[in-house]
Order: sequence, then structure tokens, then C-alpha cells
Amino acid sequence: MALLNSSGAMPRALSAFSFLSVLRIFTGLELLEHGTGKILGFPAVPSFAHVQIGSLAGAGGLIELVGGILFTIGLFTRPVAFILSGFTAAAYFMAHAGKGFYPVLNGGELAALYCFVFLYFVFAGAGPWSADALIGRK
Amino acid sequence: MLQQVLAGARAMIPSEVWAPRILSLLRIVLGLILLQYGLAKLFGFPAVEMFENLKWSSLFGIAGFFELIGGSLLILGLFTQPAAFILSGEMAFAYFIEHFPRSFFPAQSEGDLAVALCFTFLYFAFAGGGPWSLDALLARPKPGTAA
Repeated sequence: MALLNSSGAMPRALSAFSFLSVLRIFTGLELLEHGTGKILGFPAVPSFAHVQIGSLAGAGGLIELVGGILFTIGLFTRPVAFILSGFTAAAYFMAHAGKGFYPVLNGGELAALYCFVFLYFVFAGAGPWSADALIGRK
Repeated sequence: MLQQVLAGARAMIPSEVWAPRILSLLRIVLGLILLQYGLAKLFGFPAVEMFENLKWSSLFGIAGFFELIGGSLLILGLFTQPAAFILSGEMAFAYFIEHFPRSFFPAQSEGDLAVALCFTFLYFAFAGGGPWSLDALLARPKPGTAA
């Protein structure tokens, strides 16, 4: 974490703390995209075409939609990240783990990666570019 | 009494001690995910249909070398920042030549993983490998020398 609190050599906008927010925003946008794909049908993804809101995939879509919005703007980041970490862990074991042990074979790399990315945000918080930072939540 | 309970509850709040440790955990998982791509592309293990008969000198093969070496370095936490910077570039490259032409939306172009990896690597290029890494071990002052 050498650069986290550095104020000398590196301009503040280029510090690790800022890139924590960049990572959060893009992770949130991708999650949101999966949510809108499932619930609103946009962007149209063939495997999401017949998702019912009452089904497991639909419930997942609602979590992705709401969680994606909150995570992108960085509001209630830590509790939201905690829920999403559990959500992606459940998604990995329910949808992917049965298809093979290796993520490259069962298609669960993204779920596995997100699970640990969200876990990190539970501990690290939202970073400087977030609604949490604006309203003074840590 | 109540104050002690509240103090205990405060101690449970994710701390500045644990955030760097979970960063190291994330780094190891990230390295493992990447390493299996390198192994699958270059050595056919785990066997992935898409990577069968892949030539080492092809674009995919070269990417496999990045993933094999970069994944190993990330797991160990050695040269984390330069390795992550190079891998971030590799993933951006992979996204724009392989996925982006198919669709603007990653969910349609199947580039979600490349985007996610790209920004995770970018973060590690700035944040470093955390306390559980060879980088941290090597940076520790040797016993007997003045710190």
C-alpha cells in the first residue's frame, strides 16, 4: 500500500485511493449491465431473454440492478459490497461449480473474481469519488 | 458495560489492518484465475476446447505467456506493481481487439471478464500487493540493521 497515503511524488488524482473508486465504478457498471439485461431486457442478451422476475435468475437480476446502482454511485458501499460478495459466492456455487472444478471450464471466473473484489470493498470502503465520501460516511 | 460492548462492536468494523490483508487475498485469487488461462493455453491443462491446437507463437499463445508469468508473479506478490500494469494493458488490448468489435456492451461481447480484470490490475498497479506478498517480505528491513 505504498502509494495509498503518498502526497509527495505522485499527484493526488493518480493515487491508489482514486483508482479504488475507478475500480468500484466499473465493477458497479458491469453489475448494473447484468441487472438491466435480465430485468429490462437491455442490452439484449440471448441467455437472459426468458428470465422471469419471480425466478432465481430474476431475483439475481434485481439484486444486480439495485446493487449495481448503489455500488456505482458509491452509496452504502460497505454493506452493499457485503451482500454482493455473498450473492456472487452463491451464484458461483449454484450456477457454475457444478459444471467443473476449474473456473475456466465452468464459466465462473467473473463470479469468483467479483466475489473477492466485493469482499475487498467491504474492508476498503468506497474511495474518494463516491456518495459515501460526499455525505461523510467512511 | 455498554461502553465495552460498543468498543467491541467498533473493533469489528473493517479496519485499516484488514483492508490490506484482503487486498493480498484478492491478489492471490486474481493470480490463480489468470494462471489457469496461461496453463490452459500453453499446456492444455485444464483442457479447454477453445484453446485446442493453439500455437505458442500465435496471438493467443503470446497472451498465454503473459498470463502464465504474470499470474505466477501475482500469486507470489513479486514485482506486483509492474506486473499488474503490464497485465492491465494486456487485458485492455484483449478487450478492444477481441470483444469490443462485437458489441459496445460487455454483456453482449462477452468481454465482462476482460474489463473486470483490466481495472482490477490497474488498481493493483497503484496499490501494490499488500502485506502478504514477497514484495512486502523483501522490503522488510533485515534483522540487525538499523531500520
